[in-house]
Amino acid sequence: MADTVTDIKPEKKNMATESAKSGAVLVVGGGIAGIQSSLDLADSGYKVYLVEKTPAIGGTMAQLDKTFPTNDCAMCVISPKLVGSGRHLNIDLITNAEVMGIEGESGNFTVKVKRHPRYVDAEACTGCGACVQNCPVNMIIYPVERDEVDIRKNDRDVVLPILEENGCGEGSLMPVLQAVDRHYGYLPKDVITYISGKLSVSLADIYNIATFYNSFSLVPKGRHKISICMGTTCYVKGAEKLMQKLCTDLGVEPGGTTEDMRFSVEAARCIGCCSLAPAIMVNDKVYGRVKLSDLSGILKEYQ
Amino acid sequence: MSNKYTQQLDSLEAVGLSSLYPGKFRISVGMATCGLATGAGEVFNRLGEELKKTGFDAILSRTGCLGFCQMEPVVDLFIPDGPRLTFVEMTPEKATDFIKILTEGKIPTDSLLCVHQRETLLGDNFKEYGSASADTVADVPLYTEVPFFAKQNKIALRNCGVIDPVSIEEYVARSGYRALLEVLSSRTNVELIADVKTSGLRGRGGGGFPTGLKWEYTLKTEADQRYVVCNADEGDPGAYMDRSVLEGDPHSVIEGMILGGYAMQASMGFVYVRTEYPLAVERMTVAIEQARGNGFLGENIFGSDFSFDLQIRQGSGAFVCGEETSLMHSIEGVSPEPRNRPPFPSESGLWKKPTNINNVETWANVPALVFKGGSWFSGIGTENSKGTKVFSLVGTVRNTGLVEVPMGITLREIIFEIGGGIPDDKEFKAVQTGGPSGGCLPASLLDLPVDYQRLAEAGSIMGSGGMVVMDETSCVVDIARYFLDFTNDESCGKCTSCRDGSELMLNILTRITQGHGKPEDVDFLLELGAAVTDASQCGLGQTLANPVLSTIRYFREEYDAHIERAVCPAHACKELVTYSVDVDKCTGCTLCARNCPTAAISGKVREVHFIDQGNCTKCGLCFDVCNFNAIVVE
Repeated sequence: MADTVTDIKPEKKNMATESAKSGAVLVVGGGIAGIQSSLDLADSGYKVYLVEKTPAIGGTMAQLDKTFPTNDCAMCVISPKLVGSGRHLNIDLITNAEVMGIEGESGNFTVKVKRHPRYVDAEACTGCGACVQNCPVNMIIYPVERDEVDIRKNDRDVVLPILEENGCGEGSLMPVLQAVDRHYGYLPKDVITYISGKLSVSLADIYNIATFYNSFSLVPKGRHKISICMGTTCYVKGAEKLMQKLCTDLGVEPGGTTEDMRFSVEAARCIGCCSLAPAIMVNDKVYGRVKLSDLSGILKEYQ
Repeated sequence: MSNKYTQQLDSLEAVGLSSLYPGKFRISVGMATCGLATGAGEVFNRLGEELKKTGFDAILSRTGCLGFCQMEPVVDLFIPDGPRLTFVEMTPEKATDFIKILTEGKIPTDSLLCVHQRETLLGDNFKEYGSASADTVADVPLYTEVPFFAKQNKIALRNCGVIDPVSIEEYVARSGYRALLEVLSSRTNVELIADVKTSGLRGRGGGGFPTGLKWEYTLKTEADQRYVVCNADEGDPGAYMDRSVLEGDPHSVIEGMILGGYAMQASMGFVYVRTEYPLAVERMTVAIEQARGNGFLGENIFGSDFSFDLQIRQGSGAFVCGEETSLMHSIEGVSPEPRNRPPFPSESGLWKKPTNINNVETWANVPALVFKGGSWFSGIGTENSKGTKVFSLVGTVRNTGLVEVPMGITLREIIFEIGGGIPDDKEFKAVQTGGPSGGCLPASLLDLPVDYQRLAEAGSIMGSGGMVVMDETSCVVDIARYFLDFTNDESCGKCTSCRDGSELMLNILTRITQGHGKPEDVDFLLELGAAVTDASQCGLGQTLANPVLSTIRYFREEYDAHIERAVCPAHACKELVTYSVDVDKCTGCTLCARNCPTAAISGKVREVHFIDQGNCTKCGLCFDVCNFNAIVVE
């Protein structure tokens, strides 16, 4: 079987005045928006052709866990609509197909649709799943079990004690990531992949957490971390000028690292030294009432 | 049985008293983060060296923060059988002289701020000091006469700046762990909750929910395991009382949490501290070890059948983690997005078990109110806000620091009496309370009594107690923009209203501060603010519009000036000001030209300089460095 191209030409009804208006609608895209539009149109009496590129309608919503803002289960909302559009007499589902071209004018279009081969008789298939399980070729639609990633020996000597200290149980991910971050100054990819296997937490979940918190970094940071407090008081007392001067002096952008890996500069959300504003923190040491002229002296303390 | 444990506390107390009042000179240095940032470490080291060198017989110890952060580093001198003296703004050089005068048998009076004739213990109890050397300091103000301290009533901060934070003995010597022993040996958990309810204590973290009621809900939920949590993720910019308590008196939080654990029959507690507070984590870790070593944490505390233990968890720099549902997700190690309430944590919290979350300051209040009784606590404050509240009084005000005052005190008393007013002859413009969830209050509301209800009515909130004072050089539109920038950055992105609403509001505010505001902007901001408040799930989204709404309410004319005339009345919005050189004042010292980052200033030595407006980025450096006020801002 090869791709087939069909012309969809709605049957013309006898309409006396507006000669060529047909009572059919083509909906492109079988996501929740397309499904709902099709159902609404079909219910109001129009013939609907619903064209969907993938082998099944449903789109992204069918893959979601919850919907905003009510946290309702997404499948519970969409399933009745899937079934409804499948059996609505006014809806023709054309799945695994793409729109190639549209001709005509408002009210009377001819659409060219390319239907990809399915290699399965859609009328006869019940969706039992037996063929998937029995296919001898690797079942790529299911994720492959991840082998334990090997890391360099000296990395392992760092990570194993961290894992031992914090355990592998509930809630140990954060302390482990913090310890790794303290040791390396950032979260190296190999190490994190290794931890992902050890803690049985997916890399995606770790990535989610690592990018959520400001203090984790996925790229190497400088030897000394300069945090310029941008709390309200420091802001009112001119912390922005400190930032500007520091960045100009070091030749970096806020959040950046100098080329010699000596300093990283970032804005901090209040380091709790409001009475000594403006304040900056280098590594764990806090400097209060910092003047622009103090900066070069402070930098000299760190090599 | 309890007799044995009374003896244990008595012997700890004896050790604590002998180190607090050793019968010879004791010198203590305030070594919290604020002290260390101004050089308390160097002062401490110098004092130690000098004592060694001179062989003067005195005890040198470290304490937390006394609260008068403006005057750090603070050094206290305890005269044997005499008063306690508080010295401020110490330097290593002054420390050398300090010891020299002492070795000469005299009392130093340089940098002396005040004299304590007695020490306030828990509640209204006092320890009277002797009168040795009283004549030398006869004309120095008493502690109670110093405006900064006069109106304060310290309950949560009772031990900060007095005891060594990592000495459990000194904590016990100040009536610590007595309440715990008394409760475990003679009171049921239901009686304890009833006492907390009587006290009228409300959550100090921002929401102000009655603490006793929350405890009761947690206890009432059937479960095999309950948790208590201390929320020390103090993210509000401008507030740092939690840091000060953890650094200055960690045992009060631990004792409070054990009491809470007993009341709610929880066996496990977590202290969630933000990563920006390394010293607090360090001191809390030591304090927990000490409590464990003495059997105050662990199995069968004080011989009862109650067991309880604590763990520290650190945040990693996400503001939203201060929200309780988000905080719990963070402890569990999953993505720390907030979730809908109900179910409240008291029904389903950490790992779906009932969980009670209170703020550091709330926990620190608990041992005091249990020790003195709930009705003593409810005698302080106003009708619906009992007790005291710690505020961090910061910004453009003369005396900055942590102040603990009874509820119901007016803003004017705090800012102008305790805080000493605005420095440099500037005008008071606004005070911002409650951090990014709070609002800006104008001068007309200075006589507002500070309690939960009155602040809410005025369009702000108590919040965690940040109080940032602003003078006429701060632009409220810019401050509103600053807060939106903060919340926009910290929004976790789950709710569309918060994620996109804050972005939209930020864009509009940025446009206004750049002089491109449109006439309909203010009304649109009001509408948008209401929508974001209604449609967001957690506290961050529900309150992020407050800074904008309150500034529009009280400072509408400033918005209008920006929009209609493209003028910033405070000269704070960069895009709306120009820097130029006053030809009469410029001496041609070239200082500004050397400091200009974009080389926009030209001029020869001893000739009037000129600013090229095309290259000027309006950073204001020239204005700051000029020694002759020759740079004009318009």
